[in-house]
Amino acid sequence: MSGTNIVNVLSVLLILTSMLVVETRKLRMAAYMYRFQSLVLVTIFLSIAVFMEAKPLYIWSITALITKTFLVPYLIFKVIKRVKEQEEGVAIDKKLTIILAVGILALSFAVVEPFHMQAVLKLRVALAVSIAHFMLGLLCILASKNALKQILGYCLMENGSHLTLAIMAYNAPETVEIGILTDAVFAVLIMTIIARRLFKDFGTLDTDKFTLLKG
Amino acid sequence: MVWYALGSILLPLLGSLVVLFLPEQQVKKTGQLFSFLAFLCGLALLVSFALTGESFSRELVAINGVTCYGITVDTLSVLTNFLVVLIGWLICIYSAGYMSPDNREHPICEGINRFYSLMLLFIGSMAGVVFSSTLLGLLFFFEITGICSWSLIGFYGDEKSRKSALWAIALTHSAALGLYVATAYLYVKTGSFSVTALGKLTEAEKTIAFIGILIACWGKSAQIPFHPWLPRAMVAPTPVSAYLHAASMVKVGVYIYARTVLAAGKVPEVIGQVGAIMAVITMIYGFIMYFPQQDMKRLLAYSTITQLSYIFLAISIFILGSQMAFKGGVAHIFNHAFGKSLFFLVAGALSYTTGTRKLLMFRGILKKMPVVGLGYIAASMAITGVPPFNGFFSKIMIIISGFEIGRHNLLILILTIITVIESVGSFIWFLKWMGTNVFGTPSETVATAGKPPLAIKFVLAFLIIMTLISQYIALALLS
Amino acid sequence: MEKSILFYLLLAVPLATSFLAFGIKSRRLVEAVHFAGISIEAFLSLQMVQYVIREERLFALGDMLYADSLVAILLLIIGVVGFLNGFYSIGHMRYDISRGEIDEKEISSYYGFYHILLFTMVLCALSNNIAIMWVALEATTLGSAFLVGFYKHKASAEAAWKYVLICSVGLAFALYGTILTYSNAFAMVQDAHKAMLWTELIKMAPRLDQQVMKLAFVFILIGFGTKVGLVPMHTWLPDTYSESPSPVSALLSGVLMKCALFAIIKYYAIALQAIGKEFLETLLLIFGLVSVGVSAFFILVQKDIKRKLAYSSVEHVGIIATGLGVGGTFGVLGALLHAINHSVTKSLLFCTAGNVIVKYGTRDSQKIRGIFKVAPITAFLWTAGLLALVGSPPFNIFISEVVTVIAGIEAGHFWTMILFLVLLVVVFVAFFVLISETVVGSPPEDLPKGDVNWLTLLPIGILFVFMVALGLHLPSTLSQLLQRAVTIVLGGTI
Repeated sequence: MSGTNIVNVLSVLLILTSMLVVETRKLRMAAYMYRFQSLVLVTIFLSIAVFMEAKPLYIWSITALITKTFLVPYLIFKVIKRVKEQEEGVAIDKKLTIILAVGILALSFAVVEPFHMQAVLKLRVALAVSIAHFMLGLLCILASKNALKQILGYCLMENGSHLTLAIMAYNAPETVEIGILTDAVFAVLIMTIIARRLFKDFGTLDTDKFTLLKG
Repeated sequence: MVWYALGSILLPLLGSLVVLFLPEQQVKKTGQLFSFLAFLCGLALLVSFALTGESFSRELVAINGVTCYGITVDTLSVLTNFLVVLIGWLICIYSAGYMSPDNREHPICEGINRFYSLMLLFIGSMAGVVFSSTLLGLLFFFEITGICSWSLIGFYGDEKSRKSALWAIALTHSAALGLYVATAYLYVKTGSFSVTALGKLTEAEKTIAFIGILIACWGKSAQIPFHPWLPRAMVAPTPVSAYLHAASMVKVGVYIYARTVLAAGKVPEVIGQVGAIMAVITMIYGFIMYFPQQDMKRLLAYSTITQLSYIFLAISIFILGSQMAFKGGVAHIFNHAFGKSLFFLVAGALSYTTGTRKLLMFRGILKKMPVVGLGYIAASMAITGVPPFNGFFSKIMIIISGFEIGRHNLLILILTIITVIESVGSFIWFLKWMGTNVFGTPSETVATAGKPPLAIKFVLAFLIIMTLISQYIALALLS
Repeated sequence: MEKSILFYLLLAVPLATSFLAFGIKSRRLVEAVHFAGISIEAFLSLQMVQYVIREERLFALGDMLYADSLVAILLLIIGVVGFLNGFYSIGHMRYDISRGEIDEKEISSYYGFYHILLFTMVLCALSNNIAIMWVALEATTLGSAFLVGFYKHKASAEAAWKYVLICSVGLAFALYGTILTYSNAFAMVQDAHKAMLWTELIKMAPRLDQQVMKLAFVFILIGFGTKVGLVPMHTWLPDTYSESPSPVSALLSGVLMKCALFAIIKYYAIALQAIGKEFLETLLLIFGLVSVGVSAFFILVQKDIKRKLAYSSVEHVGIIATGLGVGGTFGVLGALLHAINHSVTKSLLFCTAGNVIVKYGTRDSQKIRGIFKVAPITAFLWTAGLLALVGSPPFNIFISEVVTVIAGIEAGHFWTMILFLVLLVVVFVAFFVLISETVVGSPPEDLPKGDVNWLTLLPIGILFVFMVALGLHLPSTLSQLLQRAVTIVLGGTI
């Protein structure tokens, strides 16, 4: 099995995990899924680094390992501990989400069609997956009504764009990667802080209950 | 002469700022002072222009070589500016008497600063419109006059006046879009904002530009379909109605029309035809609306609408080829301003002393208040066009030129005939009200009326004289 | 002064001030530090503008930071308007403390976050690296989140949540646009450093791949468009602007929004050469006109004065997008000028609204009556600001709107421009209703008379002077900057 194949197979695994994050009703479970997925992402980074001789990606995988499998899940678990397990309401029904997800996947493959840059060509599947992943994250935000789940959705989007970045711009200056990762961590941090405040003020994380501002 | 013109613009603007920071007791005096200074500038300009007779344009503000604002001094602007600053000054005097706690209709105890500041701002921006040599400048001051009018109509602050003010600003601003488009269009086609650049446009382009201009002018001069704001605006304090909604602001529309037509050289005939038709339609409408009016100011508002139609008709006839029509139109801008503001101020004096504006309540004004009664007579004679009052001279010029063009233009002939009929009709109608109100023994309302202050009497007397002589000033300059 | 030091100082001063502010407990001291910080920052940005006028383009930190006329305009907005909003904050926050809205102890974190936000905005303005620019913009969201949710109300928590979530999600799209642009450029120059520099990108713009750049620009427009508040990505904006403390609303609408806007303009410049005008024209005109139309409707129906102002920000972004859409010298000039004018005017209005709210204790336009009788100076500024906002002369926005209309007609969009003007009339009427409702009439009886103190009025007064001055005259310095910036955006060499 060639390197690109491994990357592509791993990408498919990535999609599966993200579907799990979207579909899982229990928050704690979803957070674990996210952690698992981040691990897959790190593996992808590593394999791209090995097979495409993209040295910067070694560093990337380390930083991603630290932030995405430890730091971010830690922040989320802390909030879960605080708010206890919450049953979340769903905005869109399950079957529809799956159909939408498939649609997104198809769309992503269509979108990457025009790319004919050399580095990208070999990893077209992975690229499509990364974009699909990003859109799945968006779907997760739109489809769920729980603030914490929406944060997870944002993390999925972040993972998707991170993968795209790894495929298309792994040779970019390190400052860029550091900057983007720092932003990601801080975004999650701030979101969790606000989520806690919401829980304190409203006694719930159900976004349907946040109705003071309309119109 | 540039300085005289600038003085008419800037002195009132300065005054408007100064007045804001003064204690209330000094506001009336200061307001009169600044408006008087502006009047002096206008007078000096009139005299020196009459002596030298040279018309010129001077550019004042340019950005990257594009003139944004400049002034034009010619017969049209000098004459119009004179009426603006003269009546502005008179109104400032009148208001000092009118805006007082003794006013029976609307006792006024506060807001004098605001009132005078806006009035002076208005005088300045009116002069700004009049002298502007660019469409951008016209648009700029056009909008400012609109804002002044809006805030003065809403001066009393009650529900009704706020609504009326909104009507005024909404309609005139919507119409102003025409001027926005025309200004932008002119710039795009010629690279200049200057009014004279209109002459460089092709026939088709001129049509587009003039449609825009006409729409804006209809809006400001309360012609159909933008007319509803003017009768509503009568909730404003009467000096405001007299000045803004009879003498000057509503003239902005016809003035811009005249200014642009004058500058554009040959204007497409279709513009003249459309202008003339709309003018006569408005005239008929306004005339019909005389009959149900019971409120004196509303009657005058409709009369203003029809008189403005006369001017629109005149300038449209000028487009079709009659020089005399233009002179008639300009003279009518001038003459009507004195007649109509006199009429409004008479109405103001009546409501000041009696507390009402209902036409049916008045009888025997002449006996009780001779100056007001005389003013009533002079004003109604002037606006219906009875010699030797000023309205006659300009009206007759318009009608003669209408028949002149009408000899080979059936449309204009018909429109002129309608105009004559309207003229006679309104004469009869005003004669009727004059008979009822002015003569005879005083009715109870009039008999128990208070005394008009000296300021009011002075202004009325001044304007009565002006209705007898203003035509000579106009004709002297126009010939 | 060494020029590159100026870059570092511009970044270091707000950062240092922020650290200081977080550390200080005394209210008076922290106010002094804050005031010193914003003054120095304003001075430095003016200094930078002068350098740019003289030398046209400056670089620092291995080309990672740069300043040209386009940047200078943004820097001018950040420096000057940021200073005035910061100045206003002092007076306003004192009132909030005395009203018990916030704890005196928390005030140092307010100023701390204020300067963090300032830092991220300056970084966004100065960065030549498009990825760093994105990072900085995302950081502005994070830095301002606490300011948005600064009050202890439930509603402010909700607003902060919406703000962070929607803006972060939106900006994620922009990251895609950034990556696409980069990889596109990298494929050409094979130099990772250069492929991320805007100054390099603009040079190679004509050779970039059309399809990719189209996609990239759409992503950018969605992404940064969320941050500026284009419809339909504007949903967070009214909530955020209305729930934030007034000086923060002023800063968000007056300055922060312009940072995102200038990011769009930078990509617009690249895309203009890469894919041509037609595509951008359609895209921006649709976004622009829809924004103006939708917000016009909302301005009309909203009751909350700050929400009205917030929707008017959406409207003005729409106007700017329309200006960019019709393009050409006048279009871009109109857009840039409008950005400046909107910054000044909207800051003035949010600050004045802050005073009105302090006075009346409500944001409900149905309950605010007779400001003129209660606080005449505030009423005057409020009226003037609203008049300016709807584009009345003699105020600044009139000029930029006329320029935009000229640009539109020049580009052959005659009917589009008429539609545009008609939509503006709706806004015009809506705000005139607001003025006539709030300014005249009789105030609630128990309301004490007198204006809010001079500390809050002075910065607004300065903004008012700018507003009138820019309406009557364009200073030659500014006009030179604008001309050069237009040339830069349109891809000509200076």
